[in-house]
Amino acid sequence: MPLNFHRPSSLREAMDLKQDLGEACHFLAGGTDLMIQRNRGRKIVGAVVDLSRLRGLDRIEPLGDGLRIGALARMRALETDERVRILAPALAEAARVVGGAQVRHMATLGGNIANASPAADTVPVLLALAAFVVVLGPNGERRVPIAELLAGRGRTTLQAAEIITHVELPRPARGSAFLKAGRRKAMEIAVVNAAVSLELDAKGLIHAARLALGAVADRSLVVADAEAMMRGQAPSPELFKAAATLARDASRPISDVRASADYRRHLASVLTERALTLAHKRLVAATTGIPA
Amino acid sequence: MLKNYHELLGQSLPRLDGEPKVNGWHVYASDVRLPGMLVGRLLRSPHPHAAIRRIDVSAALAIPGVFGVITAADVPDVRFGVLVKDQTLFATDRVRFHGQPVAAVAARNEDIAERALAAIVVDYEVLEPIETLDQAFAPGATLIHLGWEGYEASPVCDRSGNVCNHSRIHYGDVKAALAKAHRVYEHSFTTPLQHAGYTEPRTSVAAWDSNGLVTIHTNCQLPFEVQQVVSEVMQIPLSSVRITVPGIGGGFGGKLRIGMEHYAAVLARHVGRPVRVSCTTEEELIAAHPRQAAHVTVKTAVDREGKLLARVARALIDCGAHAGSGPSVAANTLQLLAGPYEIEALDVQAYAVYTNKVPTGSFRAPSGPMANLAVESQMDIIARDLGLDPLEFRLKNVFTENSKGPVGEKLASVSIAECLNRAAEAIGWVRGNPEANRGKGMACGWWLVAGMSSGVVLRLNGDGTVTMQSGAVEIGTGALSGAAQILADELGLAHSDIHIAMADTQTSPYDYGSQGSRTLFNVGNACRNAAEDFKAQLRQMAGRIYGVPVEEVQIRDRGVVLPDKHVPMVEIAKIVNFREGGLLARGTTFTPGPAFDASRVKNHTLPAWSNPSFFAHAASVDVDEETGEITIRDYVACHDVGYAMNPAAVEGQIQGGVTQALGLALSEEIIYRDGIVQNANLTDYKMPTAQDVPDIRCVLVESPSVSGPHGVKGIGEPPCICPPAAVANAIATATGLRITSLPITAEKIVAARAA
Repeated sequence: MPLNFHRPSSLREAMDLKQDLGEACHFLAGGTDLMIQRNRGRKIVGAVVDLSRLRGLDRIEPLGDGLRIGALARMRALETDERVRILAPALAEAARVVGGAQVRHMATLGGNIANASPAADTVPVLLALAAFVVVLGPNGERRVPIAELLAGRGRTTLQAAEIITHVELPRPARGSAFLKAGRRKAMEIAVVNAAVSLELDAKGLIHAARLALGAVADRSLVVADAEAMMRGQAPSPELFKAAATLARDASRPISDVRASADYRRHLASVLTERALTLAHKRLVAATTGIPA
Repeated sequence: MLKNYHELLGQSLPRLDGEPKVNGWHVYASDVRLPGMLVGRLLRSPHPHAAIRRIDVSAALAIPGVFGVITAADVPDVRFGVLVKDQTLFATDRVRFHGQPVAAVAARNEDIAERALAAIVVDYEVLEPIETLDQAFAPGATLIHLGWEGYEASPVCDRSGNVCNHSRIHYGDVKAALAKAHRVYEHSFTTPLQHAGYTEPRTSVAAWDSNGLVTIHTNCQLPFEVQQVVSEVMQIPLSSVRITVPGIGGGFGGKLRIGMEHYAAVLARHVGRPVRVSCTTEEELIAAHPRQAAHVTVKTAVDREGKLLARVARALIDCGAHAGSGPSVAANTLQLLAGPYEIEALDVQAYAVYTNKVPTGSFRAPSGPMANLAVESQMDIIARDLGLDPLEFRLKNVFTENSKGPVGEKLASVSIAECLNRAAEAIGWVRGNPEANRGKGMACGWWLVAGMSSGVVLRLNGDGTVTMQSGAVEIGTGALSGAAQILADELGLAHSDIHIAMADTQTSPYDYGSQGSRTLFNVGNACRNAAEDFKAQLRQMAGRIYGVPVEEVQIRDRGVVLPDKHVPMVEIAKIVNFREGGLLARGTTFTPGPAFDASRVKNHTLPAWSNPSFFAHAASVDVDEETGEITIRDYVACHDVGYAMNPAAVEGQIQGGVTQALGLALSEEIIYRDGIVQNANLTDYKMPTAQDVPDIRCVLVESPSVSGPHGVKGIGEPPCICPPAAVANAIATATGLRITSLPITAEKIVAARAA
């Protein structure tokens, strides 16, 4: 099938094009998943509106204590950016294991969100970091928690011509971690991934714990039970193990060519416990100055 | 003569094709474009097993830009196949695997070709697929080929129903040996289908000329076999088919059997224009020539001291819907089931079995890793059970010089004990298991050099260089570059003075082909013989030209040395052209197999192995206690290469082969469900990445072969054989878990631990 390619020079023009061209028209950022879906006949893509040359949307900049990341920021940039590595180590870790180096030079953060794969690597991190997504539409801009954007496998609550422009990480997340399991050690779609973020209060108790898993449900999954259970508790191996059990119980994975549901549940537990342990170590290191 | 007298031999010289390949300007078959060329595409069956009721191509033909659509009705009704003639160009009344070609189109471009494929209507009556070996092998199983008795087949194949060859090696009194045994062990192992993993998909460009000759530019490994098949399928004289191989982006045995050549040729004839057919990744994964899946059962009897008394084994080899290489691959398991061991009595049998899956090929060391996994895993199990160190247990039983092989052949240059000891030393072998979740394992084996014949033609060029024509394809191993080292050494030329001509059936001398670890061995011998002819002719010519006695003419130092002067090759080459009609020289070779006891072996394509090589591998692994993730920390591959003609190239072969086999060991498999491939893409078909493979350390043993050039033995395939067993054994040491099916995934480890 021929593919009509449009390259708008402004967000306004991009939205207009999308409205005119309708269903079979897709926004194109890095295209690292969209084009594969099209080539494998899994998505009808008659036209693309290429966002990749829109200026200024790939910036990573401070936002209060946190970060504001343009939707067109490449995985490679997130992986290597010094501020991301310090303020949100889990995001750098997740970006680092998306595809191979060539893919990471193309794939974008906004694309990873909009693509809404249940196995996306950066989306659980954004959930664990309580990120907001800034969305521009024909009727103006809105700012929504990332969780509200996810609607299921390959589906978001984005309206037809809405474009993700930025991701906001309101607070630093020095105590965050991301782990991923796959059959290989690189170039993998997650069999399961886990992202966590911990904040401690002045007494050293858990002020906030956030935990999200990938590839264990029809979308990236927040394990709210575990988050609630850990709040106000002193971090300990036993606590993390209990949270891991809740993570396993919350998982609703499928069996497929990559792994069985049983193994995925098992990994949900193991990765959760390890990610919590690692995030805690990082947090302690960040507060005491002693490297983890 | 001192060994280092030869300046070019045993040197890690850069490959002659290295620079263009590294820089990206080497021309491969997929780069060939001809004026007016059309795109050819195949319509493939979506069903694993179905009867075809009707095919309607009229809608496809009506699409503007479609030049032709062909089905079985448009081509000669011919069955072909190397050993069993059980396949047709297009499915006739029945499809037997998901991906089988049903029709082909030629169109102006890819998009139109795709639309044409979608417009072809095929009315299928879907049948139940026979997917597993056990289903197909069971008594009374549904026949995959109803009329199998009527197929023409090589007399070497013993066929029956779904079995397209049953081969056997049998000697000694197995019953008596089992009866007197201290212990008898029996284990079963399974291995999956593995794609050969070449980078360049199978691609052919065909064009017919005014003389009725079809030229096919392609990336096959065996141009002379492909020429034969095309002539057979199209019912035209052999000499009307010309196969050229400009360059090939990897083959690994997956491009031995015919690929897209016949499709390109029939389409080009049908539409009267050049046609290019190239496989997509999906087509590669559903319909190439992968490594057979196998199910191997081994029963071994030992005495109290740990000497092997008897072995009884059965290998089921899953050929898929057509026999392809299967009958010989199955037979080849027999030598591997015996292993490099002296065994009092042996009865090993192999069955090549049809299923409704992809027809298979001859992927690097065909049968090697499947049978070796079974034998070498069991060797470790036995050693542990007897309280013996696995190294010690192997050393007690391995072949020694002049041992008799499984078919009674006398073995020479036997180095297996040295390989084992050196691999153990390099990996830091320790008895027992000092660390939890970390362990070492080893495996050893042997492999043949395929013999048959090779010819080389040399041409002295006007600039004093020499063109070497060989019908063997440089498939990326560097074997022809190595043969050029031998040739340059013989002729007193520089390595870069040798040009390797493209393999072309119209001009190249015959060669049995780049397969069976034979290329450097055989082409190298042909080069030595051709060099003799070249030098004899050149001496005669120099004698005539300069009026000196022939015996006073020497050929060395890039020229001709006469009693009173040195004539550079460039100078004499010009005179030879003007006065002598140029210089063409020729050399051939044929390596016969060893003498053997024919009563021991039945239905085997290569009953006695020629010039075998020996090897031992050792791996050190970590296994994650909770996730089951396996990390290979260290890997040693010790190979007896006879003589390392080009050590860097030899190490490259070893590292590449180990890498491919680590893929089979840990991650690769073509997965079927209900006869349909579930992972026909490189997202879910997992070849190892650089992160999955450790630095592979090579240890070279040089125990010269009897008949290879300068003692060379084969090295193309052997590195692919031991890795799965070595890794499985290391995992067993680390975890106490014995995984008997490949690939050994983290999930299998966790499941075994839970059980």
